[in-house]
Amino acid sequence: MAAVSYRPYFSAGLKEWIFTTDHKKIGIMYGVTSLVFFLIAGLSALAIRMELFQPGLQYMSEDTYNQALTVHGVLMQFWWAVAIWSSFGNYLLPLMIGARDVAFPRLNALSYWFFFAASVLALITLLPGNHIRMMWTGYPPFSLNDNAGPVAFYALIIHLLGASSLASAINLVVTNLTMRAPGITLKKMNLFLHSFLAMNVIQILGVPALAGAVTMLLMDKYFHTAFFDPTRGGDPLLYQNLFWFYSHPVVYVMILPAFGLISEMIATFSRREIFGRTSMIIAIWGIAILGFMVWIHHMFTSGVPDWIRIIFSYTTVLIGVPTGIKIFNWIFTLYKGSVRFTTPMLYTLSAIFMFLIGGLTGIPLGLPAFDIAVHDSHFVVAHFHYVLGMALTLAAFGGFHYWYPKYTGRMYSEFWAKIALVLIMIGSNLFYFLQFIVGLEGMPRRYADYPAIESWIRLHELQTIGAMILGFGVFIALANLILSTKFGKKAEDNPWQSPSLEWLVPSPPPPHNFDKTPHMPEDWDPYNYEWLEKQHKKQ
Amino acid sequence: MKEVLAYPANYWQTMYEIWLFIAVVIYLVVFIPGAYFLVKYRYKKGANEKAQHVHESKALEVLWTIIPTIVVIYLATQSFAFYRVQRTAPEGAMEIKVTAFMWGWEFEYPNGKKVFSFFNSVVNPETNAYLKPEEVNDMFKAYIPAGTPIKVLLTSRDVIHSFYVHPAKVTEDAVPGRITHMWFQINQPGEYWIFCREYCGTQHSKMAAVLKVVPKDQFEKWLKEGMQTSNFSDKQNL
Ligand code: HEM
Ligand SMILES: [Cu+2]
Ligand SMILES: [Cu+2]
Repeated sequence: MAAVSYRPYFSAGLKEWIFTTDHKKIGIMYGVTSLVFFLIAGLSALAIRMELFQPGLQYMSEDTYNQALTVHGVLMQFWWAVAIWSSFGNYLLPLMIGARDVAFPRLNALSYWFFFAASVLALITLLPGNHIRMMWTGYPPFSLNDNAGPVAFYALIIHLLGASSLASAINLVVTNLTMRAPGITLKKMNLFLHSFLAMNVIQILGVPALAGAVTMLLMDKYFHTAFFDPTRGGDPLLYQNLFWFYSHPVVYVMILPAFGLISEMIATFSRREIFGRTSMIIAIWGIAILGFMVWIHHMFTSGVPDWIRIIFSYTTVLIGVPTGIKIFNWIFTLYKGSVRFTTPMLYTLSAIFMFLIGGLTGIPLGLPAFDIAVHDSHFVVAHFHYVLGMALTLAAFGGFHYWYPKYTGRMYSEFWAKIALVLIMIGSNLFYFLQFIVGLEGMPRRYADYPAIESWIRLHELQTIGAMILGFGVFIALANLILSTKFGKKAEDNPWQSPSLEWLVPSPPPPHNFDKTPHMPEDWDPYNYEWLEKQHKKQ
Repeated sequence: MKEVLAYPANYWQTMYEIWLFIAVVIYLVVFIPGAYFLVKYRYKKGANEKAQHVHESKALEVLWTIIPTIVVIYLATQSFAFYRVQRTAPEGAMEIKVTAFMWGWEFEYPNGKKVFSFFNSVVNPETNAYLKPEEVNDMFKAYIPAGTPIKVLLTSRDVIHSFYVHPAKVTEDAVPGRITHMWFQINQPGEYWIFCREYCGTQHSKMAAVLKVVPKDQFEKWLKEGMQTSNFSDKQNL
């Protein structure tokens, strides 16, 4: 491929975007794709919420509802909660370690284009006749049934995504471990990079299990093998075991980088290093390892032997410990700090307090005595919306605002950003908190319709209103970010005054990031804010 | 002792209360210092422009590792104790075999009597909206005696479904090719919902049945009448 000339992002031509191997452009492409799918998934969520406003079927048939829910679930998890980190990771990793690009730039581009191909296939499933209605979990034997839709499509999409994320994960792990500039030791590496490393390791270990599960599903459906079909001697629970062996750890793929962003932002805006940095790193790896030891909690009512349920309830609740360590360390980072309430900081604080609710409601789901009453109910849905829908999304949006001046060279509007956050917090708490209550009252999940139980009707009405406020807030936040690329005022290179390496290059960064490999001095550290001040004084 | 509506829901209730108490305490333990630090250490021009340096405190870190460990192990052990009771049907429970299918339930009583409940038996045929339990035709209701433990043996004829008894707060999957089990007991006569809780296709949200809990003598009478379905039970179709 001929070297493509470099122009800043917004004036770059289409050809330049398509053939680029620049990690920053690839990062932006991941981000834009991910956001587009976030919006599609968000619109289908609002459609779902409208349907649940009242009992009875008002706006759509049951099959349409099931498709909308499948689309919402799949897109939110794989295109938003996982893919958005490819955006942050690709953009930030080389900048934070002082490298010119990732280790294998062309493989990196290929990873994106695999992801893009999967995205196109996912859009095709929205066309009539291709609807997939088996939810993102796709349990057999239901997924072997014609009622489920074209499963081959689903399997192909998962394979493309899997190939993309495996290649990307290997690439980024190698980059991280081999290309750090002199002076950036593992201990001095940004906490985001630690969590991102752990996340990529989980991908490398976990993706093959999922790929295996969907391959077996594909063979069962089209080649008449019988891995999962009980009428021919297969075992449907085998699928669940394989599926959750990956799909539980994948929630840490989603949340660990969010923890990373939270750590970056809370340190910068408290003007001090994260409290207990070493224990933070230990906690990240503790979560990653324990994450592979808890998948049976998704199968507490599936018919696995009782003693297995008990063992896994202990490993499950133990994850609360490293998670708690992280939360306490964040809170104590504020202690004796000099706290600035910028928009990214407010997003971070909101994310922590929502995550706390998400985490505390996750613990009882790990207790079989509690779970048998709420398994597959709206309580579970509320729990993961607090963790993913809120903590993750708030951290990512906080990240958008935090690195906005770096990406665009401009500032967003603080006023509209704060209005948006207030709406998001009011709307989502109204929505998700009531989802807990309706779940405790027994409402099963994935229901297009429900009986006219007085309290359920009230709770669903209010939830829908909450979801609309939330949607409106997200709309304002994104409109602000998009419009500010044009109307925002010019930003300084380092508006937050952070010594972390990505802030020491101009905004937006030049094509090769660094003119020469930076040598970081002994007293430098990404969180040593005094070092930065000393540099300023010297000049 | 106060009258409980349903077993094993009472154990769930206690577990729920224990957890809720602990969760609220933990939330406050984090929230209160968090809010206090935010106010106290906020940046002010001329007053708190610079952070002071406290990097770590071994004592604190050990504290917030050990205490949460104790708390979660206590919770898991408490759950273990309750779960044994929630899973193990009392001696002499009445056994009902339940077979799930797309989309409905078949209940088979010890004497062979069967009740079928289909998704369209719980909805109004004109509006396709849920009926109230009282409005469902008695023919489709699963009768059980009040105050008697019921052990349910579950399986499925096609895909995975999940049997959830609403007032008893207990659910267990019905898996094709396997027999799973659960138990419950309802003390108050009345009509209650059973829902399917594992996604099973188009009519998943209508895969409900009504449980009609009646006094023991009334149940015995009901069980003896209309035995004819048992003669037709065609095991090959199961
Ligand atoms: C405007 C924001 C959102 C709204 C209104 C919304 C609404 C809903 C609703 C109503 C359900 C169906 C509950 C059920 O019957 O099972 C659902 C399911 C789900 N949501 Fe969301 N949601 C939103 C954002 C998110 C986000 C940000 C994520 C993830 C990052 C997410 C992930 C999921 C998943 C994984 C499911 C389960 C799908 C399944 O059962 O297969 N949602 N959401
Ligand atoms: Cu079902
Ligand atoms: Cu179902």
